[in-house]
Amino acid sequence: MSAQVLTFGALNGVGIGMIYFILSVGLTMIFGLMQFVNFAHGAFYMVSAYAAFAVAQWTGSVLPALLISPLLAAIFALVSERVLLQRTYNLPHESQILITFALAILAQESMTMIFGTLGKNVPVPEVFSGVVILGGFVYPSYRLFVVGVAAAVAVSMWVAIERTRFGAVVRAAAENPEMVGLLGFDSRKVFMAAFAFGGALAGLAGALAAPLRGVEPLMGREALAIAFVVVILGGLGSFSGALLAALLIGITQSLMSMIWPGGAHLMIYGVMTVILAFRPAGLMGRA
Amino acid sequence: MEDLRFPNWITLAMGVTLVAMPWILPSLTLASEILVLATGALSCTLLLGSVGLLSFGQGLYFGLGAYVSAILIRDFAVGAMAATLAASVAGCLVAALAGLLIVRRQGVYFVMLTLAFAQMGFFLALAFPKLTGGENGFGNVTRTTVAFEQLPLSNPLLLYGFLALLCFGAFAFVQRIIASPFGSVLNAIRHNDSRAEALGYDVRRFKLAAITIAGGIAALSGAMNTLLLSFVPLSAIDVESSERLLIASLIGGVGSPLGAFIGAAVLSAMSDFLSPIWPRWSTIVAVLLIVTVLFLRDGLLGLGRILRRRPKDALNG
Amino acid sequence: MADPLLIARGLGVRFGSFQAISDLDLSVSLGALHSVIGPNGAGKTTLFNALSGTRRPTQGEIRFRGLPITNVPACRRVHLGLSRSFQLTNIFRDLSVAENISLALQAVAGREAWAFWRARDPSRVSRDRAAELAQTVGLASRFEARAGDLSHGAQRALEIAMALSSDPKLLFLDEPLAGMGLDDVHRTKLLIRRLAPERTVVLIEHNMSVVLDISDTITVLAQGRKIAEGSPQQIRSNAEVKNAYLGSAA
Repeated sequence: MSAQVLTFGALNGVGIGMIYFILSVGLTMIFGLMQFVNFAHGAFYMVSAYAAFAVAQWTGSVLPALLISPLLAAIFALVSERVLLQRTYNLPHESQILITFALAILAQESMTMIFGTLGKNVPVPEVFSGVVILGGFVYPSYRLFVVGVAAAVAVSMWVAIERTRFGAVVRAAAENPEMVGLLGFDSRKVFMAAFAFGGALAGLAGALAAPLRGVEPLMGREALAIAFVVVILGGLGSFSGALLAALLIGITQSLMSMIWPGGAHLMIYGVMTVILAFRPAGLMGRA
Repeated sequence: MEDLRFPNWITLAMGVTLVAMPWILPSLTLASEILVLATGALSCTLLLGSVGLLSFGQGLYFGLGAYVSAILIRDFAVGAMAATLAASVAGCLVAALAGLLIVRRQGVYFVMLTLAFAQMGFFLALAFPKLTGGENGFGNVTRTTVAFEQLPLSNPLLLYGFLALLCFGAFAFVQRIIASPFGSVLNAIRHNDSRAEALGYDVRRFKLAAITIAGGIAALSGAMNTLLLSFVPLSAIDVESSERLLIASLIGGVGSPLGAFIGAAVLSAMSDFLSPIWPRWSTIVAVLLIVTVLFLRDGLLGLGRILRRRPKDALNG
Repeated sequence: MADPLLIARGLGVRFGSFQAISDLDLSVSLGALHSVIGPNGAGKTTLFNALSGTRRPTQGEIRFRGLPITNVPACRRVHLGLSRSFQLTNIFRDLSVAENISLALQAVAGREAWAFWRARDPSRVSRDRAAELAQTVGLASRFEARAGDLSHGAQRALEIAMALSSDPKLLFLDEPLAGMGLDDVHRTKLLIRRLAPERTVVLIEHNMSVVLDISDTITVLAQGRKIAEGSPQQIRSNAEVKNAYLGSAA
């Protein structure tokens, strides 16, 4: 296997990994904040991907979906919080998991009712339909675009969390929800904002991934499992862990698909199992 | 939880129901399907109802049991009894291994891991099509005999009888466990695991034991599924398989093994009657699940209790 | 002078960047009633957690009857003869008093806990013994009551009964009197006093009059360190101790 092919595979992996990162980082941050895991997270991703498909159908380009899908996902998140989730705050955590799980089923069935059971293709936006030539390399522009967007999101998130006042409040709320209340912030509002933001990120991931993978009703389920692997592998609540883990499994998947395509997805879980055996708290997790 | 003696009226009720089902229900196949799903759901009920562990991954063992028994029956001419036993043992072994990794974590983390492992099982089956038949499934598992070439399972009533025996066996076993010292420890762990630890119970080991047993039961139901279908579809090991087992146990009520049976009956009946009319019938299941979580904490079994307005029993511990 | 039953040397517990206790030496004599006091945040419960095995210390070592137990998990320490009660009532609320105590007895009844094929063996987990323990802490009349329905004082008593069930050589009681009414305090005080010297008792308490009344030795912690140790008279007149309490404005 030539170095060029390997590098190509690794670059692909970074692209996949970055999408996995955007998909998962909301999940891990919300867990860090509220000890809450949203089993409908994959559904946010899926609904957004379908929205991207719809946008591409109506407007001829999927680009507007990069704004519309996250917005839609955020609204979806807020509405489900209001209507369903807030009834579960006094119940054991299993109840929250099961409610969001039921929500995911509803979302999946709804999308199937509207769009049918067959997968759909989403065309790559015109402006990125070409290739980029870097040195001796020929690389699809859209994938580079995805990496760029994801990197921009990652950087702005890091800045927001580490450098802004809101980020400081979020970090404080993660350590001590009561304290935040005493400081004059409504920790529920902080949580809702973070939850909507996490949903929006999943939505962005869905819109970005749509041209690459197409859309189909089961994609939410698969996305949820991937997000879980990233979160578990990275360490719950860890931003850098999620980034590392996402890149790791993206690259693993990509390289494996060249060596042993049938086992590409399997290797993701294989890597997770091996690392967990030696580091139960994940790559960057605290025990 | 229910009356904790064994055997009790529930044991009797189950026995009677299993015998009566072929005559009450419109089809023997539906009755057999219920048996398979009830046994699988029992593994979720044991974990959630007794120990408080929510598992989205029992489908992994269901699929494992299905494949192991299929391979033994088709390629090694093993009888049904032996194949089923082997499948259960395989389920226990794999569950113990996975359990070693999973028990270290608690709460939500644990649940996420079970889902990840379930998904891994799916990709494992997909990655080795020579062994599992891949997307096409593992076919031609012709109906064999129970043991020593006696009792051919090609006879549907005999098949039902064998499945009913296995189901009842699993059911009685779980009841026995719950009403034993071991069961009292699981119960204590579910209530307050830090206290259980402080009393001197090695909580991790007990959880591991429960996970192992549940894996065996789920694998048993997978083997039963193979006997019923003479075929192992890939869907036996996908995440939806795990979800189906879990939903059946939740809707019926995880407070008692009887709940697994009730949930399985309801879900199987819904599937049989609704899916030809409305392919998206899972929507109703999702709504039912929401209602259960929010209002019917003990599932349909709990509804029965509310309706009968049973006076609050003196604690039977 | 006999060897101390429990020795902790250089004990330290760290949470992230916060050092909860540092460089703590503690020596508990056999048969003593040894109290640990200090203002809020002094690290008393953390010390208990380290000594009882709920939390692994980051530095130092602990020896029980000469055996190192620093990294032995809590569930195993019970079988070695240590036992604890909790500051925040930590009982099985949905189970009866009888079942709470029976569970405690069952944990130390050999392999009884692992019997899955039969009902509980009354010869190994004796109902009479459970009733006896309930009687000792004054819960005989509430034996079949649901633990969550008990009054606060009764629940604290159940805590103690459960801790006693394993017949421990060394008993850690974490604020057993917390939130109790005067009658309960008096009764529990006498109960605790009666436990030693047959057992060794280490006690965290805020109720100073009880502590000064019943303790053989008192260790004073402040901000994670030991600042004084001695008999009740010595502690009563110790200036540093007064400082620690008044100065912290807790």
